[in-house]
This record gives sequence, C-alpha cells and structure tokens, in this order.
Amino acid sequence: MEIPYEVKPRRDTGLYNAKLGVWLFLASEVMLFGGLFSAYVFLRAGVQDGVDNPWPWGLNVHKDYVWLGFINTLVLIGSSVGVVFAWVALKERNWRRFQIYMYSVVACAVVFMCIKGVEYNSKLNHHHGIKLLDNSVMEGTILDKTDRVRFEGTTVSFSIQGALPAFLKDLDDEAFPTFTVVDAKNEDGSAVTLTSMSELKKWFLQERRRVAGELTGERKRYRSEIASGAETPTPVSVTTSATLKAAEPFHLHANPRKVIGHSDTGVNYRDGSKVEGTLISDDVLFEIHEVDMQLVLPQKQRDSILWDVVNDEGAKQEFFAKQQKYYETFREYYAERNEIMPEKMLRGHKLNLHYVHVGGHGDDHEHGDDHEHSKKGEEKHEVEVHSSESKPSAAGSKVEGDGGHHGTITVPRDKIKFMGNHGPRYGNYYAIYFTMTALHGLHVVGGALVLLFFVVFGKKLYLKNPEHLANRVEVGGLFWHFVDLIWIFLFPIMYLL
Amino acid sequence: MAEHTQDWAKVKKSYLMVGIALFFCTGLTLALGLWAPFDVGPPGPTPGDYVIGLAVATFKASLVALIFMHLNHEKSLVYKTLVFTVLFFLSLMVLTLFTASDPILEQYDTYESTNGKLIEKL
Amino acid sequence: MSTVTVETTDQSHDDHDHHDHYEPFWKKYIFSTDHKTIGIQYGFTSLIFLAFGFFLMMVMRWSIAYPDRAVPLLADWPWFQAWLDDGGKVTGDLYNMFGAMHGTIMVFLGVVPLAFGAFGNYVTPLQIGAVDMAFPRLNMASYWFFLLGGVLMFVSFFLPSGAAKAGWTNYSPLATTTDIHYGDLFWTGQTQWLMGMVFLISSSLLGAVNFICTIINLRCRGMTWMRMPFFVWAMLVTGFLLLLAFPPLEVAAIMQLMDRMAGTSFYIPTGLNVSGMAFDAAGGGSPLLYQHLFWFLAHPEVYVLILPAIAIVSEIIPCNTRKPLWGYKTMVYAVMVLGFLAFIVWAHHMYITGMGPAISTFFQTTTVLISIPSVILITSLLISMWGGSIRFNVPMLFATAFIPMFGIGGLTGLPLAFSLPDLHLHDTYYVIGHFHYVVAPGTIFALFAGIYHWYPKITGRMMGTRLGHWHFWPSLIFMNGIFAPMFFQGMAGFHRRAFDGGKAYEQISNQVFAEPNSFIANICELLRVIEPDAAVRMIDLNIVTSGAAWLLAVAQVPFIINLFISGFIGKKANSDNPWNATTLDWATPTPPPHGNFITEPVAYRGPYEYSVPGADKDYTPQFEDGPTALVEDNGAEEVEEEESHA
Repeated sequence: MEIPYEVKPRRDTGLYNAKLGVWLFLASEVMLFGGLFSAYVFLRAGVQDGVDNPWPWGLNVHKDYVWLGFINTLVLIGSSVGVVFAWVALKERNWRRFQIYMYSVVACAVVFMCIKGVEYNSKLNHHHGIKLLDNSVMEGTILDKTDRVRFEGTTVSFSIQGALPAFLKDLDDEAFPTFTVVDAKNEDGSAVTLTSMSELKKWFLQERRRVAGELTGERKRYRSEIASGAETPTPVSVTTSATLKAAEPFHLHANPRKVIGHSDTGVNYRDGSKVEGTLISDDVLFEIHEVDMQLVLPQKQRDSILWDVVNDEGAKQEFFAKQQKYYETFREYYAERNEIMPEKMLRGHKLNLHYVHVGGHGDDHEHGDDHEHSKKGEEKHEVEVHSSESKPSAAGSKVEGDGGHHGTITVPRDKIKFMGNHGPRYGNYYAIYFTMTALHGLHVVGGALVLLFFVVFGKKLYLKNPEHLANRVEVGGLFWHFVDLIWIFLFPIMYLL
Repeated sequence: MAEHTQDWAKVKKSYLMVGIALFFCTGLTLALGLWAPFDVGPPGPTPGDYVIGLAVATFKASLVALIFMHLNHEKSLVYKTLVFTVLFFLSLMVLTLFTASDPILEQYDTYESTNGKLIEKL
Repeated sequence: MSTVTVETTDQSHDDHDHHDHYEPFWKKYIFSTDHKTIGIQYGFTSLIFLAFGFFLMMVMRWSIAYPDRAVPLLADWPWFQAWLDDGGKVTGDLYNMFGAMHGTIMVFLGVVPLAFGAFGNYVTPLQIGAVDMAFPRLNMASYWFFLLGGVLMFVSFFLPSGAAKAGWTNYSPLATTTDIHYGDLFWTGQTQWLMGMVFLISSSLLGAVNFICTIINLRCRGMTWMRMPFFVWAMLVTGFLLLLAFPPLEVAAIMQLMDRMAGTSFYIPTGLNVSGMAFDAAGGGSPLLYQHLFWFLAHPEVYVLILPAIAIVSEIIPCNTRKPLWGYKTMVYAVMVLGFLAFIVWAHHMYITGMGPAISTFFQTTTVLISIPSVILITSLLISMWGGSIRFNVPMLFATAFIPMFGIGGLTGLPLAFSLPDLHLHDTYYVIGHFHYVVAPGTIFALFAGIYHWYPKITGRMMGTRLGHWHFWPSLIFMNGIFAPMFFQGMAGFHRRAFDGGKAYEQISNQVFAEPNSFIANICELLRVIEPDAAVRMIDLNIVTSGAAWLLAVAQVPFIINLFISGFIGKKANSDNPWNATTLDWATPTPPPHGNFITEPVAYRGPYEYSVPGADKDYTPQFEDGPTALVEDNGAEEVEEEESHA
C-alpha cells in the first residue's frame, strides 16, 4: 500500500501531501501566534493610566537586551538564508554543500538559544523590583534571597488530608531537623521521630491513608445512626491534623508566595500549615538602581513613603531636579510646535516615565537638538559615576548611596505591596515577553531538531530519491522561515516599541 | 513546482539579495529605535513610531514569505487557506479590541447625556 | 479497469495479507497506522468517556433532585466519600468538580472524538476512495495525544485537590485562583485540566491537518469536488474549524497555565482580592481576554459538534428514503458559509460581560445570520424525506429523530442570540436545555445512527433490530424528559450552577408549574414526584429530570449489549453493501483490509443517485461503471501510471 502524492505533486492542487500539510499547519500556527499577538495588543491597549503597571516602552528596560535581540534577529535571518541555500544545494544534487549549509543552520539555532539563555538569566536572576504600598517602585537587585522570610522554627502543624504541606519546600534539606510527632506513639510506645524529608513524606502518606480510613468508618457509622432514626447522632470526630516538634530549632526560608502572613512567633501558609518559632528577619535587603513614580500622583510624589525607605535627601533632590528639567523639555517641545501638551503628560504619569527611564540613556532615544545636548552631559556624568562598578541593569535616574556606589537599603516588609524578579510575574509586558519568546524558542528547538534529523539521517533517502529529501527540506524550511518571520515581529514589539 | 527548469545560480543570487536586504532592514529597525532623527512626533512612542516600526517588520516578513517561502508563485489552494486564516486572525484581534473599546460603562455616560437631552426636549 | 491494475492491486492486497499474518498484535491493533483501526480506537475510547461523563452527570442530578439525602450506592467508596459531607450528601466542591468535568469530558473527550475522530477517520478515506489518511503516522500520534490528554483529565480526579472545579469554560480569575493554596500547584486538578487541554488541542490540530490534506489531495479518480458525499464536505469544514479555532484556545490555556504556575497576571486585574485577601500578582490583566480566546474556539466547537452529526444523518436519510439528497449543492454552500460565520459570532456568549451595545449589535447580527445556513441544512434534510418510501430501520429512526431534536435545540437558541432576552436567560437552565438539545438528542442520536449504519461495514454483521428499538424509543422519551423541563425552569430563573437545585430560592422554586389535579400533576402524582393533590412546583421538575436521566442510563443497556454481541452473533450482512447505498465506502470488502480497496476506486457519478429513472435498480453506486458513467478529470492519476513511475 502506497500513499499517492508523497513526492510528486497532484495535478489539480499542484501540491504534494507534505507541502499542503505544512501550509495548513502554518495556518494554525498563524492563529496560535495570532492569539498571542492579539493578547499583546489587548493587554497593552488596556493599560489604565495610573492604575495598572505601565507598559515599559522604548529602551528603558532593554538597554542591555536590545543588542542581544538585534544579534538574535541577524542570527535567525542568517539561518533562514542557510535553509534556502541548503535546499538549492539539494536541488543541484550537491550533498556536501547541503550538509555544510544545514549544519550551519543548526549552529545558528544553537547560538540563538544561547543568547536567549543569557537574556533570560539576566532578567530572572539579576533584576528585581519592589512596589511599595503607595505604588512607588524601586528597581534594583534583592540581595541574598532576602525576599524570603527568615525564620527559626520549633514546631509545625498541618493538615494530614490532601497534599503535602507547603512549608516542606522551604526547609533546608541538608540541615533537616529531627521531628517528633506530638501525641503519637509507635507500637512499642516510643515517640515517633522523623529524621529526613523522605521519612517525613512517607509518614505523611501513611497517616493520610489512616485518617481517610478512619473518616470513612466514622461517616459510615454516622450515616447508619441517621438511618436508624437517631435524633442527635454522635458527630463525626477524627483528628485530621498533626503537630511536629523539632529537637533543635531549624531554619526556614518561607516563600512569600506561599505564605498568607507571619508574625514574630509564627508563619501561616496558604494551605493552612503553620510554623511556630522566632522570626529572624523579614526585612528585604535591596541594592537600589532606580526609582519609578509613574503610579503616584504628582502632588504626592514628594511625600511618597519611598523617600522614607531610601532615606537619602540628596537622592530625592536629584530626582526632583531631573524631573523638573524633563518636564521643561516637554513643555518646550510642545511650545515650539504651538501644541498643547496632552492632558496625560500634565497629569504626570507619562512624564515621569520619560524622566525615570530615558534619563540616562543619552544616545538611545533622543528628541530634538537641545534635548540631545542636555542628555549628552548627563550621560557623561553617569559614566563617570559608574565607571568603577558592575554595570547596572537599566540606567536611569540613579539614586546613589554614599561614595558613588549603589545604595544598599533595608526595606521593611510591611511597606511592600509587590516584589519580584523581572520574570513573567513582574508585569504584563514581562508575562507576554516570556510567554511569546519561550513559545518561539520551543519552535526554534523543534525546527532545529527536524532539520538536524534531515541532515544526519538523510543520506539514505538522498541516494534513493533525492527529490523526496528536497521536498522534506523544503517543508522543514517553510516551518523554519515561519519561525523567523515570527521573530521579525517579536523583535520590534518586544525590544523597541 | 517548476524549479527544475530554473537557473539555480539566478535563484541563489536572489536569495542572497533578499538576505542582505533583511540584514539591512534589521539595522534600520534598530536605528529607528535608537536614533532620534528617526523618531516621529512628540518624544516617546507615538502611533507614528508604531506604524514605521511595524511597517519595516511587515516589509521584512513579506520578503521572507514571498521569496524564501515561495509565496510569490504558490498554488491557489495555499493562498485561499492563508487568506481565510489572516481574515480570522484579524477578526480575532480587531473584534476583541472593539469589545474593549466599547464597554457598557462608557456607553452609560453617553446614555445619561442623551437621556438628559431627551428629558429637556420633553 | 485494465487487467494490469487489478493484478497490481491484487498483488498489493496479497502482500498485505501476507504482511498481516506477521504483523504482531500490538502493531495491528494498538500502534496501528491504519485509519480504520485508529477510528475504532477513537470510537471505543470516546464511548468510555461518554459513559464516564454520563456517570458524573447522574451524581450531579442526585444532588439537584435530593440535596438533603445521602448519595445511594456510592457513599461507602473511600475516594468518593472524601468529597461527601458527613451525612453522605454531595458537597458543593464535588458538584463543581463533576460539573466542570462533565462538560469537558462530554465535549472534548466524548462527542468530538467520536464524531470527528472515529467516524471521520473511519469513513472519510473510504468515501473519497483513498487508501489511507495522507499522514498515517501523524494520525496515530493524534490518537495517542488524545488518549494522553484524556488520561491526564481522568487521573486528576484522584489528586488531593480533585479535578478541575471552575466549570468547563474555566473562566479566569476563578480558574486561576482555584486551589491556589496547594503547595504543589502543578499537581492540582485545575492545572492538570490545562495540561490535558494542551494535549487534546495538539491532537485535534494534527487530526485537522490530516483530514484536510486527505480530502484535498487523496480523492480518487473521478471524485470531483461536487461528487464528494456531503459527509466529506462536512468533515472538510469541521477540519478547518478545528485547525483555525483551536490555536487561540491553546494560547488561552498556555496563558492560564502561566498565570497559575509562573504567577503572571494575564487574566488577573489590578487589585484582585481572593477570599478577602489581596491576591499576590502584579495585576493589569483582563478576565475578558480569556473569555474572548476561549469562545473564539468554543463557538466554532459547537459546529464541530454538530456538523459531523448532520453529515452522518445526510448519509443515512437518502439511503433509507431511496431518494437523492435534496439540495446537495445548496447544502455544500450552506456548510461553507456556516463554517465561515462560525468564527465571527463568538461574543454572543459574552453579552453580560459589559460589552457595549455597538459590538453586541454586531454579534447579534452575525448570530442571527448563522441560523440561515443551519436552517438550510435541516430543511434540506427534511425535504429529502418528502415523498420517499422510507425504510424505518434503526439508523433511520435515530436519523429521523435527530431533525426535530436539533430543531428544538436550534430554535430555542434564538432568544439567546439577542442580548436583551439573554440578560434574563443567561446561566439559567434554559441555556442548559438549549445546548443539550443540540448536543444530546441531536448529535448523540446522529452518532448512534452512524454506529448502527456503519456497523455492518466494520464487523460484517448487522446490529440487532429488536435491541435497537429497545434502545431508541426509551432514549427518545427520556432525553425529552430530561431537557424539556429545563426550559420551563430556566425561564422561571433557575440558575445552572446551584448544587442544591435552587432550593434556597423559594420565590423561584415554589412557582407553580402545573395546577393540582391537572393532567401533568396527575402524571407526576402517578410517578410519585409530588404528594397527592399538590401542585407541581418548578422545583419538583428537578425530580422529573433526574429520574429521566437515570432511566436514560438504563435505556443504554440494550445498546451496549447490542454493540458487543452483534459482532459475534448478529445477522451476517448479505453483501458488502447491505443498505444498497451509493457511496464509495460500500465498495470495499467487509471489513475493509489495510489499503481499503481491492481494485482502484473510481467515482463514475454523483454521490446520491437513488431511484434514477431508467436505471435497473433503485440505486446507482458511485463506483459502478455503466452507460451513464462519466469520469471527470480531477487531477488524480490512474494507479498503474503511478506504479510504472515507481
């Protein structure tokens, strides 16, 4: 049995099966990325000024990344050219040249993914932000994983129904304390002790089964009592929680996302488990790089709690001096053109955006000559200041500590509304950036694997039916060009606009 | 496909030219983002910037689609499929946006005002 | 047909037999690339899921009818009782879980795989005279993706968190925040629902590509576009619906997965509070976005559910009325228009989300427009029966019942198309009644018809007629017993998600549906639904509905028996074409071997040439050469030419 039109195109459609198939697949891919592009537009257009996190535009977050994105674009375009040349090589029946082109395409894919990895790593591990209660934002780096609540625990209690308690993930596996189960005895009357994570998990599952069994029995009894007409049946009573005492205090690094609250004596997890003991510290150590006031009303910016946290009068003065200067620039810009400054700018949000993020870029985003001039000077100043230290993420209005170094400040946790790295959680821009680039990355990996397969295992088919292999490469190439095409759109909308 | 009759050297040359054009356009995109002379309208991203940025991207994309993906001489069946796909993609994007730009609360204001006018008339 | 062809194909057939002999069991029946085996795999899997979904519904109906009584039979089962309260009653959590999973399983794991996966896979290549699907291995992959998705969904019931609980629509932010307190978010039912959906969607996409390719490129000689049976047309349109509508849902699922696992806020608005606490997310997202992406799939999905049903019925009706399908071309164009419009009506599910009147008007207009092609399809089927000498065999009974049932479902949808009545009816039992009429007595009846119709082709034996009648008549009665009362309850204001059946809303639930001692009250009294001489209140209809649902389950027993035993002891089909049908699927041996046709199939004429004046019998099959035969050129090449090239 042979399926027709696998190699030769059908006369009325002019297509062989695989080509028709891949075009249909690409149509569905258009809808897949189309859905994401729609989401991008919908989310970006739906940002409410002064309420939602503003969409970081321009080069503000991308000073370091835009070049990575640029190189990646070139790499991907290069690989696309490589694929068509590989295909032509096959058409000319030149296996050697085909191999060279194809391997270089795969190499391009590897380079692309490595650059992507560098970019992800920088965003995820080195850049953080903290939004304070009044929506003022500090950008910088959280030091020593201090976003977690450091706690010294002695007792834990949790439910033995459902899933494993959440605090287990926040324990230090290597310094696992010896837990004793309260109110429980082994068969020989000794106390139940758990000395490792695996032991605890095993015990938990055992207990869970026991409790479930007990509950079933109790409920059966309860129902039969009702059925036999008891006026007041004895209610079901089964202990469904357990308490463990640690022999020695243990360290807990509580993940704030799993915690609903903590005090000096205890941490409460979302799933109901509790750890008791003493709080070591819940302050966040933060190396501050820039300040962003877009979500604060202009008249309240001077009284923002951020200045209490930063506690640096000089930085505050510098911030407002710069802000004033940029405000003037905008006014000049509109005055020159006899236009009225848009109401949005007067309200301050957008104005602050320009100030905070674009301030230090100088060569990056210039508007008009005098503007450029003023920026140049500033840039120089910035460079001088930062010459001796590791380069900060995104330049901007730097709030300096003493002696030209980034200030390391302590942020009290009760003043924080939201904090995190520049991962997908950080805002909708980051969310869609990570989702789209990761999905695109998956396509790159998939496409590269398919192309690699053609060149590594294609020789046999080449000798048997070179046209068939050429068709396969054409089809694989179509997919590869599509992946390239998506990136051509991703580059401007994610890095530039 | 009619490629077997084609002059491959010519084809390769055209691919190379397209590749160079794409590299050039990528540089242009970057310049649009980086250099002030390319900035349109007031400082910051304006509709003009979006249009130019996306226009360059669309131009690049169409080069890839037309030359590399051979859409300049493809079979009608492929065009038909793609036309419907693009149509549905646009409807997804545009109709979704319309629902956001036409929320009932904003309409409520207009309703109030027209209602007021009606009452005045009465 | 030249001798050469016969010889070569015979050769391949022998080859095949020879091959068969040495093909190990797992390769022939489990990891098979044969479209027929895959079709049967789809069929069995989806029937099992349909039964499972039905079981979930029966438990829910208990909770609705008797919210203060313990669940019978199941309360002692340890897994189950963990979700019941102390007295053995269904809890809200269990109800939500079963409700969400009933919808998901019935739509994505039951009806679509049975209609599109099973019938589409088995019948489509046969009807266009193809040896197999265009990409047999892709076909196998799509089945295994489907199974993987189904297994994930099923396994999620046994996770500590239970299965998904946020409705089959899985609206955010509810779905994002459900079970968010679990330490391990990945192994919660809600997350696994999304994982399962990603697999199911991938499966559907692969399937859709395969179907479209097969239909476009593998039609046999003479099978021009307008000679394709309507079934194939419907499958083509369904394929396009799946191909282009599913990806946005995949995006929605991925974004919701990100919301749950990576903490993004695609669907989380700024300032969201959950259980009185500020939700720890950046905010700025839009719950509306999810609904858009979801319904962009889910409305075309409605047509994915209904088109294969219409397709099956439009094969059975001409065959059993011995008349051509009336308005074949009109139906073809109607189904294309339907497919197109299906993409631009989705927001009629969202009238009460706060969309403005302008955009609502647009969607109302398109929604009303889409009823035109639907009505054309149904009317054509109805007219096809006019003046025919109808053979009322079992498939025809189901096919005939399909038309009014689907009609009721469709017509009751009209009020929902307009935003004003929708304000009143939204999320009431009226909506449940409406779409279940379309899908349950509609699509599922058509699927039953299809099973009875193609069973002799698949097994070589006929399904029992007597058991078929035992299956059909009770099913018809109880289906209506379930869904008709819902319209009245819905118009009275019963909300679809109340797990106690609306007991708490006295003003609504105590409304009188039928006066004491009226005809309906007497029947209800007879059935012990109400006390003697009492009025039938709206809430009493819950018991009627639930009773009908359980009896419907009993009515499926004859079908299950019939399905299994007929393969062994059923009456042997008298020929390869026991119904004297005209399409190419009946030209194959019974059951069709790997590669389907003994000789090269050629379509000599249109698909529905029944009772042609002057013909010697009342049907002239497409594959029968004769004086009226005409092989139109459709680009397909003769087989021997292919062979000589190879």
